Amino acid sequence: MATAFIATHPLGRWQARCEALSPLAWLGLQAAALWPHWRWAGARLADGSDDPLGLAALAALGLWVAQREPLLRGSPRRAWAFASAAVTIMATLALFFLPPLLGAVLAVLALAAGLRSVMPSGQPWLPVAGLAVLALPVVSSLQFYAGYPLRVVTAEISTWVLQLAGLAAERSGTAMLVEGELVIVDAPCSGVQMVWMAYFCACAVAAFSGLRDRAMLARLPLVGLLVLAGNVLRNSVLVTLEAQQASVSEAVHQGVGLVVLLAVCGAVVAVMRGGRDAQA
Amino acid sequence: MSRPRIPYNPLTRTGRVLWCMALAAFSAVLMLFWSPAHADDSEALRAESPYFAVNSSEPGTDRLPLKSTDVNVKIAGVIADVTVTQHYRNEGQRPIEARYVFPGSTQAAVHAMTVKLGGRVLTARIKEKEQARIEYQAAKREGKTSALLEQRRPNVFEMNVANILPGDDVAVELRYTELLRPTDAQYGFVFPTVVGPRYNSPSAAAHNGGAIGGAYLKQGTASNAPLTLRVVLDTPLPVRAVASPSHEVMIDGIGSTHAAVSLKPSEQPANNRDFILNYRLAGDRIEAGLVLYRGTPDDGDEGGAENFFLAMVEPPKAVAPREINPRDYIFVVDISGSMHGYPLETAKVLLRNLIGGLRPSDTFNVMLFSGSNRMLAPASVPATRANIEQAIRTINEMGGGGSTEIVPALKRVAALPKAEEVSRSVIFVTDGYVSVEAEVFRLIRQNLNQFNVFSFGIGTSVNRHLIEGMARAGQGEAFIVTKPEQAAAQAERLRRIIETPVLTQVKASFEGIDAYDVEPLQLPDVLGGRPVVVFGKWRGEWAGKFVLEGRAADGPYRQVLTALPDGQGPSALRQLWARQRIAALSDQEALEGGSTQKAQITELGLRYSLLTPYTSFIAVDQRVRNSNPSQTQPVDQPSPLPEGVSNHAIGAEVPSTPEPGAIAALLVVLGIVIAGVWPSRRRRRKE
Repeated sequence: MATAFIATHPLGRWQARCEALSPLAWLGLQAAALWPHWRWAGARLADGSDDPLGLAALAALGLWVAQREPLLRGSPRRAWAFASAAVTIMATLALFFLPPLLGAVLAVLALAAGLRSVMPSGQPWLPVAGLAVLALPVVSSLQFYAGYPLRVVTAEISTWVLQLAGLAAERSGTAMLVEGELVIVDAPCSGVQMVWMAYFCACAVAAFSGLRDRAMLARLPLVGLLVLAGNVLRNSVLVTLEAQQASVSEAVHQGVGLVVLLAVCGAVVAVMRGGRDAQA
Repeated sequence: MSRPRIPYNPLTRTGRVLWCMALAAFSAVLMLFWSPAHADDSEALRAESPYFAVNSSEPGTDRLPLKSTDVNVKIAGVIADVTVTQHYRNEGQRPIEARYVFPGSTQAAVHAMTVKLGGRVLTARIKEKEQARIEYQAAKREGKTSALLEQRRPNVFEMNVANILPGDDVAVELRYTELLRPTDAQYGFVFPTVVGPRYNSPSAAAHNGGAIGGAYLKQGTASNAPLTLRVVLDTPLPVRAVASPSHEVMIDGIGSTHAAVSLKPSEQPANNRDFILNYRLAGDRIEAGLVLYRGTPDDGDEGGAENFFLAMVEPPKAVAPREINPRDYIFVVDISGSMHGYPLETAKVLLRNLIGGLRPSDTFNVMLFSGSNRMLAPASVPATRANIEQAIRTINEMGGGGSTEIVPALKRVAALPKAEEVSRSVIFVTDGYVSVEAEVFRLIRQNLNQFNVFSFGIGTSVNRHLIEGMARAGQGEAFIVTKPEQAAAQAERLRRIIETPVLTQVKASFEGIDAYDVEPLQLPDVLGGRPVVVFGKWRGEWAGKFVLEGRAADGPYRQVLTALPDGQGPSALRQLWARQRIAALSDQEALEGGSTQKAQITELGLRYSLLTPYTSFIAVDQRVRNSNPSQTQPVDQPSPLPEGVSNHAIGAEVPSTPEPGAIAALLVVLGIVIAGVWPSRRRRRKE
């Protein structure tokens, strides 16, 4: 009935053409509608005010979508499509009322909801949305808003750790006085980069492993604890070295940082994979 | 219940290869186009740290051309003749120009420099500063080995040696003389080995032409240029006690009139603090007397030979303090970054001793200054126990940090209201690592009717020019504390001096002598244990007396000195007189501002062959040795930091614990993600 209507009416013919479009084309149109947000993100990336780590998340997201492109539905799920449209409108309105980063977060969530609307059943959405958010230039904003508290917490716990190890340590703000040597936990030491890396790791592994949203949500707090523990460990080791030597070489800083990052992300993968393997 | 399988197709072998290639390309793009300055803030911060300012990036270029410093000191009576020999060697593959900033004594009259190169000796000439610079630059461009010695400050010199060819061993020898002024019958010789990093306020930097002190090694990094030092003492009375509070020394000849002192070999670096040698002569008296030098045509004086004299008079002993008027003390304490650590702790000990020893009739105040300043109380408070305890609590809480804005602190002190009948003493406690000496002296002189200034220099290598100049300008006395255990004794000494000036209204006169150009023009009050020193010239035959008069605590004081008229005293009197006159003119110039005394100072420098702010020594080898001088690499010889001074003083980055570089971290994470995802992909493919 409907097919006959479409075939004979100009509007119906247009509808048929639209339905014939690839879901990715629709998503492309939606992305185009949200262009001001991408322009802002691109500008922020280009002017060096943020690390381009987001490109890795974008690449992972693109790879994930490309792999599932044959499975995309021809017609979107109504609820997700509506949600996507609503968030798109909110993102557009955010251009006038909210800071650009919040608007961009809404934009990527709108796009992720759009993607979810055409994905087959059983596909995770949370890791995809996570990768989409991580693709934005969020590191410097995280550094600005979360950096100081993270530094204080890291310095405080590191002080406890060093005291337990028998060293004379005390914290003053984000600085530590260890064995008479002043060592500061400044912005590059905050652990924000490790936060990004760990959540990228979690989202990417969960997405490519097909971990369910609920399971992932339950494990995310553990990721946060792993990051904090890792950063405290890294900071404590380096502070101890700084306090006992005249200077610690850059290679040692890099080496300790990478080893701890490897351990943290390895643990994150284990946490994310653990349930998957058990289920499989 | 198993979850529904995801019906997607695994990548083919070709797909996996393409995927790996894409990942590699992505990584390469990141590596190539991602600016490291943006990737890691910690990298950017490190690059701005000022230490190790070595310009050469040539792998073969020797970064540290100064190989050794040898010091030979001959002390005859109260005059030290010092020869400093520095060996530079180029162990690289390209010609270099070495620049090296080093300290000198505040009283040094630098009068000769020679350069030894390949068995030949080049004698430097004294030239007007700009002219010397032009000649040096010309010689450098022409490929001639040349050396230029300039005075950056009265106690800071800069040596430039151009065209040191690969394999060259250049020995630069400079000579200076110095008058040793005893205190409490103890003689002291000081050889500074390192210039402390001076704080340059933005306004001062414009006048000084940049930083002072050049490049620095980081805290705890020893210089690779060893210091050897030998002192020979020839005294009229046997040497009774010799000691060095700064270094371990070997001593020969105690009890004789000929003693020798040398540094004991040690694992510890010797060139990161002042070398200090104290000695006493038998009889515990200052070697008072009158020395004459009759000039000869060889002196090179224009307009005939000049005769010089030096009078040193031991003042009367201090008597017990009598009832004296109430006094007001303002303690001005430097809490800047360079004072962080031991200097500040020593300052606390010092202040606790000073303030704790005040009498209840005294009043006092404390100002702490760094980038800004703050007072203990709006106005001076009585030295009651409660106020003293409050002050000591305040002092105990202070910590070092920030810049050294000494001029605003001084201005604020000068603006403090004071009753006319109150005698005010301002006691500065600082390491003197600033570069605004002239302005400080000018301010003190302008406010001489308000206060006397006593200055405490704390540190292993303080800026003695500032410390001593402040005391000279403020008609007070300078105290140097190089070790914490000296603080209490020096505080006691200051209190003794302040309480009992031993000689006031001091005048020097001459009977039967045609004396002229006497230095200093006005004699200050004589404080405990220091002799009165007068330089001058005389004409004709010496057939008279030198008379010193004044008022002592127990009545009028008069002392008469006579001398053998043979005029066989040391020729160093010429340079010492000229150095004294130049110091007085420099003080006057600082008071008036600008270069008002430039002509006179330059004339004195050229006439007496002395290094001054306006004259420099230059030595040029007439042979062209470097055929391609444009390839010469400039090398800044870094100095060690003075012992006890931390990296805070040079604005060095406080150690931190930055995260690893973003690129490396990302590659690690990508590897982990791939490793984490890969097993499930393989499992699904099998299924």
